[in-house]
Amino acid sequence: MTDLLRIGLPMMVGGAAVGGAIGIGIAVKAAMEAIGRQPEASSKIQMAMVIGCAFIEALTLYTMLIVFVLEGKL
Amino acid sequence: MQILLLLAFLNAAQPAGEVPGPSDAAALTELPDLTEVFSAWASGGSWAGAGEFAQAWSGNLYALGTALLLFVLGAAAASRREMVPGRLQNAAELVVEKILEFLTDVLGSHAEEHLPFLGTLFLYILFMNLSGLVPLLKAPTSMLETTASLALVVLVYVQVTGIRSLGLPRYLHHLAGSPRTVTDWVLLPLMLPTHLVSELARPLSLAVRLFGNIMGEDVMISVFTGLGVVAVAAWLPVGLPLALPMILLGLLLSTVQALVFTLLSSVYIAQVLPSEHR
Repeated sequence: MTDLLRIGLPMMVGGAAVGGAIGIGIAVKAAMEAIGRQPEASSKIQMAMVIGCAFIEALTLYTMLIVFVLEGKL
Repeated sequence: MQILLLLAFLNAAQPAGEVPGPSDAAALTELPDLTEVFSAWASGGSWAGAGEFAQAWSGNLYALGTALLLFVLGAAAASRREMVPGRLQNAAELVVEKILEFLTDVLGSHAEEHLPFLGTLFLYILFMNLSGLVPLLKAPTSMLETTASLALVVLVYVQVTGIRSLGLPRYLHHLAGSPRTVTDWVLLPLMLPTHLVSELARPLSLAVRLFGNIMGEDVMISVFTGLGVVAVAAWLPVGLPLALPMILLGLLLSTVQALVFTLLSSVYIAQVLPSEHR
């Protein structure tokens, strides 16, 4: 079990980073395109983007929380 | 479930400085701060008790120091209000106006009503985040205790605002997902727990987001500082300032995280206000 955790925990962090990176990448790409198309709405788009990124990031950080909880079992 | 996890982690993180267990590994990789220096200096002497106390409660001490700094700055800026403002009053007015402008985008006409809470939250978190970049200080927000208490304050504030602005019956209706059609009412036993869980997951995500980002930043700075010393230790008596770019990145990250915390809090408040301001 402990050996499994030693392999699994870093993989969990890596997997969460991959997912979060793809999600935030798509969100920022869409926001940049929207700003390019409509520069006058940039402040509203930016705010929506920051909120969205925060929600995506939260899922990544849940993984970190789980890692901290399971770290005690190593 | 998530709250149980949070509590489990809080319990694991609570005795920081007393019993360095495996879950304190993150705390151990951060740079030494004033309280650690003080407790190392005091250990064995007549101040040993005070040293242990300072190390165990370092997060609270720094948070208190930040609050005092903000209080002194605010009191100094507001004490002699004049028509033609001096430097400090001018700066304070600029900050308050910018925050109000920012909140108006989310809360509309209710922004001024919630400005005292949200503005204080923003400045408090910003100053706490930035104190992690000052040598010999530590960011209180790099501990889950601080961020969890901030998130709980936001949770209570949002619920109280909801009850006050909507009234209890409409607040409960909102909590049940605003059911209108028959299908909505049939699905109520399913929707109510879902909404309750999402309501309770908010403080968890607020707390963990702030904590994770600031702790990650602090650990990164300390790792790069260590790298700068180790890399040239064989040839040079001083270290390379490898942490400098990380500190510049930290300035940006600290501001963004304080902004995100305030923005999400104001979005949560906007959701419980009467519907014309959604």
